[in-house]
Amino acid sequence: MLDKTKACNILDAALSTGADFAEIFLENCVKNSVTVINGRVDGALSGRDCGLGLRLICGDKAVYAYTNDIEYNNLMCMASDAAKAVKSEGHCIIRDFCVQDYRGGVSKASVMPDTVKKKTVADMLKSACAAASAYMDTITQTCMGYMDEVQDVCIINSEGLWAKDRRIRTRASVSAVASNESEKQTGYFGPGAMCGHEFYDRIDLDEIAREAARSADTMLRAVPCPSGRMDVVMDNGFGGVIFHEACGHGLEITAVSKNASVFAGKLGQKIASEKVTAIDDGTIEGSWGSVNIDDEGVPARKKILIENGILKSYMSDRFNGARAGYGVTGSSRRQSYKFMPVARMTNTYIAPGSDRCEDIIADTKYGLYARYMGGGSVNPASGEFNFAVSEAYIIRNGKICEPVRGATLIGKGADVLMNIDMVGDNLKLAEGMCGAESGSIPVCVGQPMLRVRNMTVGGRG
Amino acid sequence: MDIREFKDKLFEAARQSGIADIELFYSSGSSESVYVYNGNVEKFNSSSCGGIGTRGLYNGVMGYYYSEVTDEKDIPLIIDALIQNAGITDSGDEEFIFEGSDKYEALSLYNDELDAFTVEDKIDAALKMEKTALEYDSRIKSVTGSQVVSGRSEKYIANSKGLELSEKSNYIMAYIELIAEENGSTKEMGEIWAGTSAANLKPADIAAKAAERALRALGGSPVGSGSKNIILENRVFADILECFSGSFFAENVQKGFSMLKGRLGEIIASDKVSIADDPLLEDGFNSTAFDSEGVASYNKTVVDHGVLKTYLYNLKSAHKDGVSSTGNGFKGSFKGRVSTDTTNFYLKAGSLSPEQLLERLGDGLFITSVAGLHSGANGITGDFSLAADGFLVEKGRIIRPVEQITIASNFFELLKNVEETADDLYFSVSGVGSPSVLVKNISVSGL
Repeated sequence: MLDKTKACNILDAALSTGADFAEIFLENCVKNSVTVINGRVDGALSGRDCGLGLRLICGDKAVYAYTNDIEYNNLMCMASDAAKAVKSEGHCIIRDFCVQDYRGGVSKASVMPDTVKKKTVADMLKSACAAASAYMDTITQTCMGYMDEVQDVCIINSEGLWAKDRRIRTRASVSAVASNESEKQTGYFGPGAMCGHEFYDRIDLDEIAREAARSADTMLRAVPCPSGRMDVVMDNGFGGVIFHEACGHGLEITAVSKNASVFAGKLGQKIASEKVTAIDDGTIEGSWGSVNIDDEGVPARKKILIENGILKSYMSDRFNGARAGYGVTGSSRRQSYKFMPVARMTNTYIAPGSDRCEDIIADTKYGLYARYMGGGSVNPASGEFNFAVSEAYIIRNGKICEPVRGATLIGKGADVLMNIDMVGDNLKLAEGMCGAESGSIPVCVGQPMLRVRNMTVGGRG
Repeated sequence: MDIREFKDKLFEAARQSGIADIELFYSSGSSESVYVYNGNVEKFNSSSCGGIGTRGLYNGVMGYYYSEVTDEKDIPLIIDALIQNAGITDSGDEEFIFEGSDKYEALSLYNDELDAFTVEDKIDAALKMEKTALEYDSRIKSVTGSQVVSGRSEKYIANSKGLELSEKSNYIMAYIELIAEENGSTKEMGEIWAGTSAANLKPADIAAKAAERALRALGGSPVGSGSKNIILENRVFADILECFSGSFFAENVQKGFSMLKGRLGEIIASDKVSIADDPLLEDGFNSTAFDSEGVASYNKTVVDHGVLKTYLYNLKSAHKDGVSSTGNGFKGSFKGRVSTDTTNFYLKAGSLSPEQLLERLGDGLFITSVAGLHSGANGITGDFSLAADGFLVEKGRIIRPVEQITIASNFFELLKNVEETADDLYFSVSGVGSPSVLVKNISVSGL
C-alpha cells in the first residue's frame, strides 16, 4: 500500500516542524465471528478494519493522528496537520529503511482461518452446545462464540525501521447457564491461541463446554459466600488475574513514570514475599498474548518482573519510558491503528513454586478456595483492586467443603504480594482481554495454585 | 467514494445476486483531543474514520458484513460474505429490512458554535483544569491526566425499501484525573464532563470537583461487616442501572437471559422507582431521531412507580412478541449486528434534597464509588458484589471516610428496597442517569 518514497514523504511532512521522531502504523485486519445460542446459529459476521496511525514525538510531547482514508493525498494532509501541533528547532533526518519481515515466528498457522468453511465452525459450536445441554437438566441456555482474526501490520519509522508482522489469532467463548426457579448461574471459559484453526484439534471444546456446565450447575446449588477476612487459596490458570490486576498494571511504565503507581521508585526493593517470582513473556510460541514484535516494532522478550520478591523490571514503551529514563522492553501495544501504543502486558504469570497443591489445602484451617476466577480491575495509584470469583468453596480444617457463590476479593496489590505464603507447582496460563489506555488487547494471565493470607472476601452470606 | 453512489452500486449488485432486501449503514466521525501534563501539552490526537455495516436478506435469512473500506472494488466480496454468513444462520428468527416510520422528530444535535472551539481553546481549558487542581490544596500530589476532546459524527442509513435517513451530532468532553495523598493514604479520582456547548464547559469547576472528591476520601478505613442501610450516590446507582439494563431488553427475555421474563404489568420495584428511556431528551448524550434500523425514536416509561410497563425492542424481538419496535434496535458501531440498547435511560428523580436523604438514612453508609461492575456483577441474575468507597453516616451526618469494603446485593432486590430517591438526577457520559437512592439491607464486608 505504501512504497518507500511515499512513506518517506509522509514522514518528512510529519517532521517538518521539528519533531524528533515519526512513526507510521499501517494495519489491515480481517475478522470473522459466529455465535451459536442454544444450538442454533444466531448470527455470523465478518469484516475488515484498515487504517493508518501516525505518531510524532517531540521531547516529552506526542502527537497522534489516525484515519482510514489511506489515499496518499489524505495521508499527506494528515501528516502536515499533525505537524502543526509541534513547534521545535529539531532537524530529524530519516534514515534508510531496512525492511524486516517478522511474519511466522510465534504466530504460525498450519490451517489459515479463511480456508475453513463457516459450516465447520458452526457445527463445532453446535456440538459444544449439545455437550453442555446434555450435562445436566439444570442447563437451560448455552451460548458458544467463535472468532478469528488475521492482523497484518507494517511499522515504519524515521529511524529506518520497516517492520512487517502478521498476527493470527482464534478464540472460542463457551458459556452455559444453569437455572432453577429463582437463580441463574453462568459457567464460562474462553480458550484462545495465536495460531490458526488447528487450535481446535488441540483442545476438546465439548469437554470445555461440559466443564462450563458443571461449574454453572455447582454454583446454582451453592450458598451465598460469607463475608469477612480469611485466607484465600487461588487455583492455577485464570487465578493469575490477581497478579495481572493487582500488580501487573502498576508495573507498566505509564503509571510508574507519572509516579502514579505504588511500585514507582522501587526497583531493587523487596515488594513481594520471597516465594514470588513473576514474569512477562511475549515470546511463547502460539500463546494468545504473544507478539513477534510489539506495536512500535521492538521484538518481544521475556522479562523477569519480580525475582524472589525483589522488583527487577518494569514494562516500558518508547514515549512513556523516556519520561522515566527507562529503555524499551518490547511491551508497547495497541488494539489497532486507532490507538497510540503504550506499555502493556503480554503473557504474565507467577512462576511455579515448590509447594504441593494438596499441602496448600491441607494447611488451611478456614478459608476460601477460589477454583475459577472471574475478571477484575485495579486503581494503579493506590493499588486497590477487586475481582470476582466464579467458582469457590469454603475450606475447613484442610478440606474443600461446600461451594459458595457471589464471592468478590478486594485488597491492595502491595499487601497481597507480601501475604502470599505458599506457591504451588502447577503453573497454567489462561486467555483474556485486557482493556486500558491503548484499547483492548489479548493477554494471558497465569499462576500455579497459591495462598494469600487474610484477604477481604465480599459476599451476601 | 461518495456513499450514495456506493449505495446504488451495492444495491444493484445485491439485486442481481438474489439478495431480496439490503440495508447500508454508514457512520463517520472525527475528533481532536488535547492532553496536558505538568503545564505542557503532552499529547495531541486527531482522528477521522468511518465505515459501512451492511446486511441483506438471502433466502429469508439475514447475513452481515462490515468494512472500514468503502471501495467499489470490494462489492463482490461484500455480496459473497453476506450470502455466506446468511447461509449458516439458522436461528429461525425472522429479521427485517424496515420500510420506514411515518414521522421522524427533527432534533437539533449539531451545535455549529462548537466548530469554532479551536485546539488552542482546548489547550487553555486543559491547562486551566490542571492548574486549578494543583493549586486547590497541597495534598493534591499530581494531576495524571487533563484532557479536552471535541468531536462530530454522522450516521446514514439506507435500504432497498426506499428508506434513507441521516443525522449529524457533535460534542465536547473534558476529563481530569488526579492523586491526593496525606499520611500514607492515597486516592486517585477522575471527573468527566460532557456536553454540546462550549459555553457550559467550566474547567475550574471540573477540577475543583475532582479535587474535593479525592480530598474528602483521604484517610478512609473499613467498617465492620454486616447488613446496613445505605445511600448509593447518583453516579453509583447510574452505573449499577447501566450494568443491569440488559434485563429490560426483549431479546434477552426471549433467550432466557433476563429475570424479568413474564413480569410485564407486574410490580418489580418499590413505588419510588420509575425508569424512562427518552431518546428525544434535550441535550441527552444519546439523543437520536431514529435507531440503527431506521425506526423512529420516542420517549417511553419502562417502569412506572414500580410496575414494569414494557421491554425494549428492536424489529426482530418485537416481531417475536407481536408488538411494534420501541426504536431501541442499535448497533455498537457500524461493525456490529443490530441488537438492543438504551438511549437516555434513567431513574426518575424524587423530591428530597441530598441532605434530607442523609437525614432519612440516619445511621448507615453513603457510597460514593464502586469498582468491579464489569466482573463482580451477574448481568442475568442481578447478583453483585463490588468494592466500594464512601462515608460512615451517623444520625444523618457524615462521620468519616470508608474504604476497602464490599457491598453485595441483587439488582432486583435493590429495586424493591428503594426507600427514597433524591432530586439530584445525574447522567453519566454513557447516557444512563439516576438520583441518589436510599436502600435498605445491603450486605457489607469490611473488618
